Amino acid sequence: MSHSIDYTAPQPLRPSLPPDAAALPTAHPPSSVRPSRWPARLDLLQSLSGLLLALFLIAHMAFVSTILISPQAFYTVARFFEGAWLLGRPYPVLVSLVAASIMALLMLHAWLAMRKFPAGFRQYRAFIAHKNRLQHGDTSLWWLQVWTGFLLFFLASIHLYDMLSQPELIGPYASADRVWSGGLWPLYLLLLFSVELHGGIGLYRLAVKWGLFGGKTRARLHLARHAFSAFFITLGLVTLLAYIDLGREHAPRAGERYQPPSTSASHHH
Amino acid sequence: MISIFRRPASSPPPRRLTLDILRYNPAEPERAPTLQAFTIDEAEGMTLFIALNEIRAHQDPSLQFDFVCRAGICGSCAMLVDGRPALACRTLTRDLNSHITLAPLPFFELIGDLSVNTGQWMRGTAERLQTWIHAVDRVSIDEIEAPMAPELAEAIYELDRCIECGCCIAACGTAQMRPDFVGAVGLNKIARFRLDPRDQRSDEDFYELIGDDSGVFGCMSLLGCHDVCPKQLSLQTQIAFLRRKMARLGFD
Amino acid sequence: MQIIHSDVLIIGGGLAGLRAGLAARKRGQEVIILSLVPPKRSHSAAAQGGMQASLANSTRGSGDNEDVHFEDTVRGSDWGNDQIVARMFAHTAPKAVRELAAWGVPWNRVQAGDHTAIIDGQPVTISESTTAHGLITARDFGGTKKWRTCYVSDGTGHAMLYAVSDQSIAAGIPVHERMEAVSLIHDGSRCHGAIVRNLMTGELVAYVARATCIATGGFGRIYQSTTNAVINEGIGAAIALETGIVPLANMEAVQFHPTAIFPAGILVTEGCRGDGGLLRDVDGHRFMPDYEPEKKELASRDVVSRRMEAHIQSGKGVRNRFGEHLWLDITLLGEQHINGKLREVKEICQHFLGIDPSRQWIPVRPAQHYSMGGIRTTPDGAVYGLQGLFSCGEAACWDLHGFNRLGGNSVAETVVSGMIVGEAIADFCASPAGELTVSTALIRDCGRQAAEEFSAIARCSGPENASQLLRDMQQTMSQQVGIVRHGDALQSAVDTLKSLILRSRQIGLRCSRPGANPELLLAWRVRKMLKLALCVADGALQRTESRGAHFRSDHPQRNDADWLKRTLAYWPDAEQTRPTLRYEALDVLRMELPPGWRGYGARDAIDHPDTSRRQAEVDALRQQLASADRNTRQAALLAFRHHLPAHLRGDNARLGEAP
Repeated sequence: MSHSIDYTAPQPLRPSLPPDAAALPTAHPPSSVRPSRWPARLDLLQSLSGLLLALFLIAHMAFVSTILISPQAFYTVARFFEGAWLLGRPYPVLVSLVAASIMALLMLHAWLAMRKFPAGFRQYRAFIAHKNRLQHGDTSLWWLQVWTGFLLFFLASIHLYDMLSQPELIGPYASADRVWSGGLWPLYLLLLFSVELHGGIGLYRLAVKWGLFGGKTRARLHLARHAFSAFFITLGLVTLLAYIDLGREHAPRAGERYQPPSTSASHHH
Repeated sequence: MISIFRRPASSPPPRRLTLDILRYNPAEPERAPTLQAFTIDEAEGMTLFIALNEIRAHQDPSLQFDFVCRAGICGSCAMLVDGRPALACRTLTRDLNSHITLAPLPFFELIGDLSVNTGQWMRGTAERLQTWIHAVDRVSIDEIEAPMAPELAEAIYELDRCIECGCCIAACGTAQMRPDFVGAVGLNKIARFRLDPRDQRSDEDFYELIGDDSGVFGCMSLLGCHDVCPKQLSLQTQIAFLRRKMARLGFD
Repeated sequence: MQIIHSDVLIIGGGLAGLRAGLAARKRGQEVIILSLVPPKRSHSAAAQGGMQASLANSTRGSGDNEDVHFEDTVRGSDWGNDQIVARMFAHTAPKAVRELAAWGVPWNRVQAGDHTAIIDGQPVTISESTTAHGLITARDFGGTKKWRTCYVSDGTGHAMLYAVSDQSIAAGIPVHERMEAVSLIHDGSRCHGAIVRNLMTGELVAYVARATCIATGGFGRIYQSTTNAVINEGIGAAIALETGIVPLANMEAVQFHPTAIFPAGILVTEGCRGDGGLLRDVDGHRFMPDYEPEKKELASRDVVSRRMEAHIQSGKGVRNRFGEHLWLDITLLGEQHINGKLREVKEICQHFLGIDPSRQWIPVRPAQHYSMGGIRTTPDGAVYGLQGLFSCGEAACWDLHGFNRLGGNSVAETVVSGMIVGEAIADFCASPAGELTVSTALIRDCGRQAAEEFSAIARCSGPENASQLLRDMQQTMSQQVGIVRHGDALQSAVDTLKSLILRSRQIGLRCSRPGANPELLLAWRVRKMLKLALCVADGALQRTESRGAHFRSDHPQRNDADWLKRTLAYWPDAEQTRPTLRYEALDVLRMELPPGWRGYGARDAIDHPDTSRRQAEVDALRQQLASADRNTRQAALLAFRHHLPAHLRGDNARLGEAP
C-alpha cells in the first residue's frame, strides 16, 4: 500500500542571503502593556460551554428515554420540568426558558469553536491535505467534530426552536406525532448521531486538552469515548424507535394530546 | 564460496524497494514538483539514510536531503515517510512496505527535494519565545554552584531532550492552517524554562509569550505532535499543564 | 560579489564556535557565525557521556582538583600535549561547567545517602554526603583517577549545545546557516575573512572581518568507519591548509572510540563503561582485565581500542555477516539505570539494532572518533602563520590532547577554548593590529579564484566519479591508517592517496543542476579531504614510534628521544600531492609533569635525554615548596594563569577546600 502524497505547492526559497548582523532582530523587549486576558477566558469558556452542553445532553437523553418505561413516565417527567411539582400546575414557559438558555449556550459554544475552524479555502485545503497524509486518529476525529458541529448548529437549532416556540407540545403523543406525523424522524436520526459523536469526542478532547486524568490514560479515554457514543446512540435509537412506533400507532389521532390515566379518571367522575 | 552454501535456505531473497521521492528544485521554478521512483535492493539493517545515500551515489547525484548525525539525535533528517513525519536516519526499511513514499516536511520553507529549512523557523521561534534562561542575579563561576534537587534536574532534562526536528509541527493540524502557531516545540520549551528555577520569569511573563491563540490556546489537542515525536516527549501532558497555568491567569 | 562585513567571523556553529562568538560579542564585537547546518544540529550534540571538570562534589570525586585533572590529561596524551594549555584547560573547566549550569544545563546532581553503583563488575554501595546534595555530580570515565565527568544523562552535548546556542540567540548573534567557507581571504600574512558558499543557492559571498575563527570540528569522514557526523569532513582545516602558510599539526593523532555500534559506527558512550559496563568476547569472557589488570575497561581509549583489535586478531571476535566484533555488556547496570542515565544508548540500540540493552549485549568495534590534530594554534588560539586567524575546538590543535584525548575532555575543550579564544579574538580586535585594512582588489581576487575552482570542476568532463574516490579514500584510511599501523601499509596508503589526488583532478559531473548541486559539492570536497587524508597518512608514516593513539606495530615503543615533537603539515603548492612536513619540538625542560609511564598500556618508552634532569628539578622544587599551598607549588613549576583572560584566573571553590 502506498499513500498518495497531496503536496501543496512548495513555498519559494527566499532568494537573498541571510540578513546582515545589524538587521537581525534580537529578542523583543517585554512590552509594558498587559496582554489581554480574553484568550484565556474564551478558551476556558469554550471548554466549559461544551461541557455544559454535554451534561445537558446526558440529562436530556435520560429524560426522553423515559418513554421506554411508559408514556406515563415520560408525561410525568415532562410536567415535572414544567414546574408542576412546585407551582401546582405546569408552566410550559419554563421549558421555553431552558430551551432558550441551551440555545444561547449552543450559540456561544459554536461561536467559540468556530474560531478554530478553517478560515477560508486555503486553510480548509491545507487541513484536508494534512489529515489525508497523516492518517492520524485524533486529527481525523477533529474533522468529524467540525462536521458534526456544523450540522448540529442547524439541526439542534431547529429542534431547540421547536421546544422554544411550542413548549407545551412535549408529551408522549405530541412528541411522537412530531417525530412520525410531523415527519421529523430523519432530522432526529441525524441529530442523534451528530450529537452523540460530537459530544463523545468533545468530552474526550476536554480530558486530554486539560489533562484531567493524567498523561497516560489516552487509550482508556478513547475506550470511554467509544462507550459513551455507543451507549447513547443505542439508547437514542431505541428511544427514537419507540417514538416512531408510538407515532405510527397514534397517527390516526395525530394532534390529540395525551391524557394521563389519573387525570382522565377524575375527569369522568 | 562456502559461505554461500552455508546460508540458511529459509532466508528470503532481498526485497526490491521502490522509493517514490518528491523532487523539486526551487532554482528551477518552471518545473513542477513530481514524484520520482527509484528502485534499490534492500540490505540487512538498511535505514533510509543508507538507502538515500545509495541512490545519490549510484543513481542520481543531484538528490537533495539532510543528514548530520545519522544516529537519531540531531533532528536534521525529519521527512514524511509514507505521509508521516519521522527521522529518516533511524527508520529501518524492514519496518516499511516495499513501496515507500518520501516527501519533505510540510510547513517549512523548502530548500529542495527532501531538504527543508527547519533551522530558520526554529531560530525565529526561539527569538519569539525567548527560550533562554532569564536570570536577574549574577552568578560567580568561581563559586560552588547553586544546588538543585536531583529529581528536578532530571525533570528539566526530560523536557530539554527536544531536538527541534520539526516532526511535531509537520504533524500539527493547527500549524498547517495557522502558520503563526508556536506548536508543540515552542510550548514544550516554555514548559521547560518554566520548570527551571534558574529562569526567573513569572507566569505573567510566559502568558505574554504564549497566552493567545497563536500560543497555548491555539492548540486544539489533536496530539499529532505527541504521537510522532521521535523523542517521545510528554507533549500532551506539558501542553495541558501549560494550558491550565495560563488559563488561570485569565481570572486574575 | 556580495560583501558582508563584521568584526568577527566565526566559521562553525558548534559549541566551540558559539562559545567563542559569545565571548567576543560580550566584549562589544559584532559577530557573525557561519554554519553548515542549523547550529543545534552540530556534531557537538553527539557528545553523550559528559564533560570533565574537577568539581569534586561526589564521594568518588572527592580530593579531585585541577592538579589531578591536569596530570590525567597529560598522561592520557602520552606526553604529546602542551602542558600550559592543559593547565589553562583544567583550571577553566570547573568555571565552564558552573557557567553552563547558570545558563540552564540540567546537570545531574548528587543525591545524598547510599546508592549502589557497579564498579569492576560488582555492586558497590557509595554514600554521598548531605553537604553535597544537589551539587553537580560526576561519573567515571576512562583514564581518570577520580570520578570527574559531569553529565546530563547521556545527552550532555545536546544539553550544552542547546544552552549555549540559546545564549547566542539571546545575545543577538546572527548565525548564517547552510553556509560553507570555501577559502580564506588573506594576503600571505593577514587573514581578512572568508569566501563563503551558500549551500542552498550555490552563490558565493565574501565575508570580511577583522578576526576570523575556524571552529569547524573534526575530519572523521575521511575514514570509512567513524562515529562522526556526515558533516565532519574537515573542510575548515583544509581551507587553512590550502593557504600554504598555515600548518595542520599532529594529523596522525586520530582517536578510535572503543564502543561504536557494529557495523553502523554509531557511538555508544564511554559512560557505559564508566557506569560499570563490561567488554566481552565470543566466549562471553571479560577480557580487558587480562590485558590491563589495573584500569581494565577504563584505560584510556587508545589502549582499550588497541586491546580490542588485538583480541579480535587473536581469534576471539564474534563473527557476523558484516565482519567481526566484540560485545559491550551493560545488562548488569539494570533497567532503571539504563532508562535514566543511558537513554540515548537505549534508543540507539532499539532503533538501529532492534535490541534492548538492559537484556542483550551490544555488538561493538572501535571506530574513528576524534582528531586530536588540526589547525595549529598558540595557547591564545591564534593560528600559526596568519595574523587575524584563530581556531578552537576539535578543528584546532591547541594541543590539549596530544596523541590521545581523554573521554569527556573534548566537549569540555569546546567551551573552555571558546571562552579563552573568544577573549583573545576580542583583544585582537581591540588592538591596532585588529584594524581592518583589506583592499577590495584582494577580496575580488579571492572570490574570483574560488569561483574559478567551482566552475573548473563543473566544466571538467573527466572519467572519475567523486563518490567512488571518496569511498576509495575512506577504505584506504580505515584499512591502512587505522588503529594498528605498519610502515608498509602506511606507504601503500600514501601511494594510493597520491594517485587518488591525481584522479580527483579528473572528476566529471553527471548532472548540472542549477542551485545547490550536491554532486558538485562532493567533487569539490573530496579534493580537500584527500589532502587531509594525506596529512594523516604521511604524518603516520614518518612518525616511527608509537604514542597514544598512533600505534606502529613496526615501532611499538614510545620514543621521546626522537619523537617528542609535533608534526606540522604544510601544503604550500596546490600542485603537490603530498604535504610538506616539519616538526616542532616539545620542551621537556618546561614540563610540569616530565615524561613517564601513563599508569596503563605499555611501559617501554625510550627516554628523552632531558627527562631525568627535568624530573630532578621538579622533585627538588616540590620538596622545597613542600609546606606551600598547592597553587604556589604549581605556579613555581609551570606558570600559566597569565595566559588566561583576567576574569578566568581566580581559584575554583570546592567543598571542603579552604578558599
